[in-house]
Amino acid sequence: MSAPAGCRMMLRISAAALLAAGLGACAVEGGGYDRSNVGVGVGVGYGGDYYEPGGYEYGNWGPGYRVGPPCCGHDRGHDQGRPAPSIPSHPRAGGGGHGNSGHAGGGGHGGADQGGGHH
Amino acid sequence: MMNKYLLGTLCTLALVSTGILSTSAAPAPGIELPPLTQPPSTEAHPGKVIWADLVTPDLKQAEDFYAGLFGWSFQPAEGDRNFAVATVDGRPIAGIVQRSMSGDHKRQPAWLPFIAVRDVGAAQRSVKANGGKVLSPQRDYPMRGRQEVFSDPDGAVFAVLASSSGDPPDVLAEPGEWIWSSVLVKNPDREAGFYRALFGYEIFDQDSEDSRKHVILASDDYARAGIHALPDASHRHPHWLNFVRVEDVGVAAAKAVHLGGKILVDPRPDRQGGQIAVVADPSGAPVGLMEWADTADQSDAPGAMAPGTPQVPGATPTPGTQPAESP
Repeated sequence: MSAPAGCRMMLRISAAALLAAGLGACAVEGGGYDRSNVGVGVGVGYGGDYYEPGGYEYGNWGPGYRVGPPCCGHDRGHDQGRPAPSIPSHPRAGGGGHGNSGHAGGGGHGGADQGGGHH
Repeated sequence: MMNKYLLGTLCTLALVSTGILSTSAAPAPGIELPPLTQPPSTEAHPGKVIWADLVTPDLKQAEDFYAGLFGWSFQPAEGDRNFAVATVDGRPIAGIVQRSMSGDHKRQPAWLPFIAVRDVGAAQRSVKANGGKVLSPQRDYPMRGRQEVFSDPDGAVFAVLASSSGDPPDVLAEPGEWIWSSVLVKNPDREAGFYRALFGYEIFDQDSEDSRKHVILASDDYARAGIHALPDASHRHPHWLNFVRVEDVGVAAAKAVHLGGKILVDPRPDRQGGQIAVVADPSGAPVGLMEWADTADQSDAPGAMAPGTPQVPGATPTPGTQPAESP
């Protein structure tokens, strides 16, 4: 049994189009679509239409489950043997302003840094 | 006998596939996002969370919620009337875009953090070499910079951004601004290695009162984010969770409910000395609330670090590590 000539032609065209599509996919790293169970699509004009898997109950954080940053440097890093740093603490106004670092004004933050040279 | 319907389907599939790929390869979206910093700065803070986007099915509803909860103002982005830029005191801090969820009830909106890098291409190579995935092609926005969306080895989704106007300065977040980010995962040790390779973070294990692994990621000698083992009882997909600073978590949580959201994690004390909570906006997107004591004495120890964190180029790498974006 063989396909009629017209069908064979359509098949060739389809195969060529699929091959071109495949090559295109190789050219676009990542492909752009759902590589996991997370929805990241390509919208018109905006390149990151991101939706998470839903339907999960949130929470179940038990006692002592803490996710915030350290504030006073009492947690020690296992490599450096010095406390973990905290988040930037310098206020925006009067602290150096835009274009400068939060360390401006003699700052830094440190409760976190006693005992440890910076890198 | 070849079924003509099969052939037709193949043709259609091929054409549709080609169309999709053409769309995803588009290098220049027709939308103008504002620069991160204005006026531009020369600061570069690889590893710092510098932006967040929310894709939601109802933009107006989201604007009302976040304006009421955090005092955010909104302005439409040029080129896309379904994209609004959230500002605090005129500083752009987040984007909210309206997109249909196409009736897929198995998905829900979530905030997507953007983490600073110098070189998106180098970041991509690091992601792929260390077990992560590339979820969208690189995008260039003229005033914003180049960005790309990835997932880490556990599947938590994040984006990187090489800002064309420099990174925002390292200052204490004001109420209404992003102050902290956490990623809740199944394998914190592997995740720490992944993010360390990508951003050159220093890794600090945290003392904890539970039996879970908690890690702080730091760069420029600042804590940038936390990695936390998902609670055993949680079936939640690994995810990033971003916190906004508020004056009073209890008041803010109640306000979130009043505005149509709900409380996911009740207000509770955390390691920073204040309360935190997690609420969901009306579309279900989780967002963290965090108090932070605005006291200068918890910081500013002399000699902590030379003024001026790493500028472009020449970040200070973590000892023994080399961030992905470094040459």
